[in-house]
Amino acid sequence: MRNFLKSLLLFKEPNKAEKFILKENKQDTETKTGAKDDSHGESKNSETFLNKILGSKQDDKKKEETPEESKQESKIDKKLSKNLAYMKKVYSIPVNGDIILREFDIMVKDRAIPAFILFYDGMTDREIINNYILTPLMLLSNLDIKDDPKSIIHYIKNHLLPQNQLKEARKYVDVIDEINFGGCGIFIDGLDRAFAADVKGWEHRGVERPNSEQVLRGPQEGFTEVIRINTALVRKILKDENLIVEDIIVGKRSKTPCSMLYIKDITNKSLVEEMRRRLKNIKVDYMIDSGELEQLLEESSFSLIPQLMATERPDIVAAHIADGKIGVVVHGSPFVLLAPVTLADLLQSPEDAYVRLPYAHLLRFIRFLGILLSLLLPGLFIAITNFHQEMIPTDLVFAIEASREQVPFPSLIELLLMEVMFELIREAGIRIPGPIGPTLGIIGALILGQAAVEASIVSPILIIIVAVTGIGSFAVPNFALGLSFRVLRFGYIFLGAMAGFLGITAGLFIQGILFVNSKSFGVPITVPTGPKTSASASSNKLIRLPIWKQERRADYLNTINENKQPKVSRKWINYNQNEGKDENEK
Amino acid sequence: MNRKILFFILPVFLTFFLTACFDSKEVDEKAYVVALGFDKGENNFLKMTLQIAIPSKIASGEGGGEPGAGTAITTVETPTLYAGLNMINTYISKEIDLSHCKVVVFSKELAQEGIHKYIHAMVRGREFRGSMYVAVALESAEEYIQNVTPTLEANPAKYFEMNFNSYQYTGFTGDTKLTNFYLLEECSCRQAYATLVGVNKYEKSHEFDNNNSTYKERGRDRPLEGDFYAGQIPKVYDIKAEVMGIAAFDGGKMVGQFDGQDALYHSMLYGTYQSSHISVPDPKQPENFILLDVKQSRKPSHHVEMVNNAPVNSAEIKLEADILSIQSGINYESKENIPILEKTAEDFLEKGILKFLEKTRPMHADLCGFGRDLKMKYLLWEDWGKVQWLKKYAQSKFNVKVELKIRRPGLMVKTAPAKSSEGDVMD
Repeated sequence: MRNFLKSLLLFKEPNKAEKFILKENKQDTETKTGAKDDSHGESKNSETFLNKILGSKQDDKKKEETPEESKQESKIDKKLSKNLAYMKKVYSIPVNGDIILREFDIMVKDRAIPAFILFYDGMTDREIINNYILTPLMLLSNLDIKDDPKSIIHYIKNHLLPQNQLKEARKYVDVIDEINFGGCGIFIDGLDRAFAADVKGWEHRGVERPNSEQVLRGPQEGFTEVIRINTALVRKILKDENLIVEDIIVGKRSKTPCSMLYIKDITNKSLVEEMRRRLKNIKVDYMIDSGELEQLLEESSFSLIPQLMATERPDIVAAHIADGKIGVVVHGSPFVLLAPVTLADLLQSPEDAYVRLPYAHLLRFIRFLGILLSLLLPGLFIAITNFHQEMIPTDLVFAIEASREQVPFPSLIELLLMEVMFELIREAGIRIPGPIGPTLGIIGALILGQAAVEASIVSPILIIIVAVTGIGSFAVPNFALGLSFRVLRFGYIFLGAMAGFLGITAGLFIQGILFVNSKSFGVPITVPTGPKTSASASSNKLIRLPIWKQERRADYLNTINENKQPKVSRKWINYNQNEGKDENEK
Repeated sequence: MNRKILFFILPVFLTFFLTACFDSKEVDEKAYVVALGFDKGENNFLKMTLQIAIPSKIASGEGGGEPGAGTAITTVETPTLYAGLNMINTYISKEIDLSHCKVVVFSKELAQEGIHKYIHAMVRGREFRGSMYVAVALESAEEYIQNVTPTLEANPAKYFEMNFNSYQYTGFTGDTKLTNFYLLEECSCRQAYATLVGVNKYEKSHEFDNNNSTYKERGRDRPLEGDFYAGQIPKVYDIKAEVMGIAAFDGGKMVGQFDGQDALYHSMLYGTYQSSHISVPDPKQPENFILLDVKQSRKPSHHVEMVNNAPVNSAEIKLEADILSIQSGINYESKENIPILEKTAEDFLEKGILKFLEKTRPMHADLCGFGRDLKMKYLLWEDWGKVQWLKKYAQSKFNVKVELKIRRPGLMVKTAPAKSSEGDVMD
């Protein structure tokens, strides 16, 4: 008891826990002390110090580069033990848990040749490794072989490894790259080369409905995270041997495989060259999603309009590639990039093409209306209620005045409050765990909508404005463009509050200038209207032509083959007169 | 890039600092005037009456019924319009805003002195909307505005809009919007007119008399529907304010007034007539009426000729009508009788219209726009100026031709006699 009281009342030295401090790198400390020295103004020392820094930096570089270079250069040794030691060092065996190194013997003509295979557990298919690599090498090598093998390499490659993708490598780096991407490295004693078999077999999401771009009419498949599935999804639609899938690896460490998709005899060659140049000249360590690649590829990071289009839908990619654009598939991202892109492209939904003409126009005009509302409505509301009351119908002005009578804030604050709340609901709605999702709706609708009005914090008319704006903003088919309009909307609110219609007009003017000024891969964003291009440039206009009239590809793409279809694409119309032939074919 | 961002941000900040929402006013910081009244002042030039909407009452639906429930009325004596606004702003908490004013009423006394100076102030002023109606109150504008107590709508602004628009289906007033009034006032070939408004005096229905009706002037033994000025219609209960008839102006001064029937003829001649019910005495049984639903089928055509330096004004009016009722039960629907009916109606209208035109002559008020036809015949403005049309109008002679076609007999193809014990009875 006494001890307990003592322990309660008296001072006790805290237990000494070991603290962890993340120490600065050597390099950092040196530069810091350097800066300190410099500030002391020791000019005599500064020169020598500069040299010191430079020297040390150069040293660091050299130290860094040497292992890199050796990895790049070093060739596979004939001795298996050397290779084994090298690979163990490279893969930090046994620290690395998921790398599997299996040593075994190959029996060839009563001779046991030591060998080992190396692969990542989880990224590879066990069955394939067991049945088609280990079984033939360990057991079937004993089978009686009729022709006398000239060399072991030839024998193993041609008889013992029933693999469709088998690479022969002389350098370590080639094998390592393969192993890192789910391959299996096979090293055999006495050979100065190794084999890399493709046994990829990691878990991945299957092909599902696209989450962000759903349509009622049209294909329901969406891209997934695996590059080859994605390229296959496009190829499945465009069954054309001229569709090129050009592989380029981005990222020094992540080594993310990317594929450039284009049709050889349609897409403008300089466009392909430019995309290739940009992709090859990206020097980053990691690149995980196509969203990052988009930012690395675009010309202007500050432009409010997206310069590449990201889509989840293979049919959109196929349609644009067939029109002469380039797609970029990134491994690990269900969004495929398309370039060059125009504002009209971003405002289109795939349904516009799949639905019959009259309905397509209805959908399209409703969408444009929604987009305009989402961009301008709050700004216009503020402008009209603060500056141009004479424009409101008298009944409405009285209704607005009556509803605002009890509200303590100016309408700008009121509107910003609701807009911020709405953005908050939207942002939280994306992150909220699934089962709690409906709760958010209730909170949003009841608390924000009803209670705020009843508490006279906002006027009911404002709720309508914010709601209409919110609904309108979901009509923007492209996610990135929707975001850009969400940002711009706040600009218009402030402009409307500052100078009424004058402010809104100024804003539209500035936005117009910025839009006209921005380019995507050399193509002005506002192209069918901004710089006026040929009228027959098929489907990228605000008003869609009937499908049989979309004869030419978009003019601004300067494609190799400009014609999409002959002048008469529905031959059945005058089949008898022309015997099914038109001028082009004659 | 930085320069680009600066280029974007700079104008935004410039607008903020240069304009800085200096004239921004919230909707609830303003008091909206619905009607504006001008009377001759007791000690000063003007007595100005403002009917100001109370939106909270209007929106909650308390506005209708009780006099003045949805509005507040204030009257101030002032030398000029804007001076009056300043004075009112000293005791009304919110800033007076005239952009939703629907009607401006002048008293007859003031109108006879001339209202062009006030009209000019309104046309020049940014806040007055051109679609506001110009009206003349036969007695006092203040009294008229006080008696606007709409029951059908909570919003008095809507009452004015609807009530002054009724000329479209009665013909008893006219399109007297401010822009229209101003244009006619400035025109060298036409004269302006304003809607007549008034306040009804009857309290009980047994007090009705026809002393103020114009039926005697027209030689009738009892008044027809249009033979009244505003405020003299025999009616009780409900709202006291009325619109009926038009006031004629010459050079911004009121020179005469016309009753509802004359206003109807005026709109037929002027071309703003749309449709209305018209009672025509039966040609065979004068104590019975034939009711027609008359529409204008073509715009009226005017033709002016100068004979002996005096204008001869001819007008051709084309109308169409449906039969609404034949009280006598005579079978006017039949092919043979229809021309009789048409002729009767044409004669009835022609007589009335001629009488109306004769009345305008001494007033120098070319309300129907005959001068426009004459003006077109002059190549040079100077030549037209020498004609001095508005002066010459007093020497006019008039010819009017009404062409009325009866198109449909309504839902009843033929009047069938009512059966009774004493044989067939005509109703």
